[in-house]
Amino acid sequence: MTEQHDIPLVYDNILTPGPEVHLQGGYCPSCDLYHFPQQDRCTECLGTVNTTDLGNKAVIHSVTTIRTRAPLGLPSPYSVAYLDLKHVPLRVFSLMDPAEAGQYSIGQEVELQVAPLGLNNNKEICLRPYFRTCANSAE
Amino acid sequence: MVAIIGTGIIPFGHHLERSIVAMASEATLAALKDANISRETIGACYFANALGGMLFGDTTIGQNLTAGLGIKNIPVVNVENACTSGSSAYYLARLAILAGECEVALVVGSEKMCVPDFGLLNSGTTELDTLLGMVVPASFALRAQRHMHDYGTTEEQMAAVTVKSRAHAALNPNAQFRKKESLEDVLNGPMIADPFTRSQCCPIADGAAALILASDEFAAKYYRAITIEASVLTSGIYDNQADLTHWETDYHAADLAYEKAGISAKDIDLVECHDAFTFSEILHYEALGLCEEGQGGKFVADGHASLGGRTPVNVSGGLLSEGTPSPPPE
Ligand SMILES: [Zn+2]
Repeated sequence: MTEQHDIPLVYDNILTPGPEVHLQGGYCPSCDLYHFPQQDRCTECLGTVNTTDLGNKAVIHSVTTIRTRAPLGLPSPYSVAYLDLKHVPLRVFSLMDPAEAGQYSIGQEVELQVAPLGLNNNKEICLRPYFRTCANSAE
Repeated sequence: MVAIIGTGIIPFGHHLERSIVAMASEATLAALKDANISRETIGACYFANALGGMLFGDTTIGQNLTAGLGIKNIPVVNVENACTSGSSAYYLARLAILAGECEVALVVGSEKMCVPDFGLLNSGTTELDTLLGMVVPASFALRAQRHMHDYGTTEEQMAAVTVKSRAHAALNPNAQFRKKESLEDVLNGPMIADPFTRSQCCPIADGAAALILASDEFAAKYYRAITIEASVLTSGIYDNQADLTHWETDYHAADLAYEKAGISAKDIDLVECHDAFTFSEILHYEALGLCEEGQGGKFVADGHASLGGRTPVNVSGGLLSEGTPSPPPE
């Protein structure tokens, strides 16, 4: 069986290294602004940005479920959302756990997962980050 | 100033046997005839197409068009600017005339989308959002969901945009969907991206349209020339924080156009706008100032955007009933 670390990530430099996976982005200390994914420079002041940990928990700002044919080998249906990250003031776009497609609502707390999901542009199986209902808020 | 002195269009639909150039040629000849000018009068050509490069590997279709029509020794510019390709070509042609580079310019848009396995449009295959499942219907569905949450906009109000669109399209022989649909018909259709059912997403289409633009002096002899008071093209960035219900770039474009034309929303008698989805039209009502922010759903449900209403919008049937270079469900 292929180990997860042999599977390519769908996009470089979007996850922190380490056992507990977090989103990784950019932070501009001059503007006190976060970016995801990390940009080459701050879009506000054009200064250099630091790589930073953006955490792994968020609240759903808006969510929809795509029920027509899915792109990139994703399951159908699948949900996507804009999330407000809990550790930093930043709203990001995210894929949601296809196992819970259609069950999300605005205001719900969710947490990050990473697993093989769909294909990349080379049509290879790849790891994708997605958010799902928090384990401790599911009961 | 610059004016429109001729138009040509072919019916939108499935033209499987016709090439992008063949459709563009027919629209161009219709526009030349409408303007009552010969091909020698054209001083520049701006040709819009969004998908020919990606789908067919064709990147110089404008030159293929002019060569096929025996038009030579003029600048030809191919314009690819996604869903804004047609209006960008129009914008550039107007600038060429204002700059005095030519007196008469041809603007053509031609698109062939009815191909196998077309799928859904996205915003670039290497973009992170695309790789995480963002497709065009989702981007507007996410805005719609937040608008429903913040302002109480309803599924019925969004469906009212399609009902209106079909009623208008019934009067337009060039539209693809001309049969009336009730609110129930729209809401009972298959769901594409919550809350959009199928007929709330514009269908794909093959088709072409052409315009002849001319300088004021040239247009003076045309009693039905339409003067262009303003044409603006603008852009935004990834806002930090993304505001899904206030489409800042749309507001900026509308405000700039009003400022350049020296008018305000209350002077507008008729609107044609980009209604790729029912909800995108609702956002445009708000950005154009046809109603208060958050009240776009109520505006259409109350009939204000219908023919005979306060400000009729997309009386052609728009993209929802004509078809578009945008996303459609299989
Ligand atoms: Zn900065």
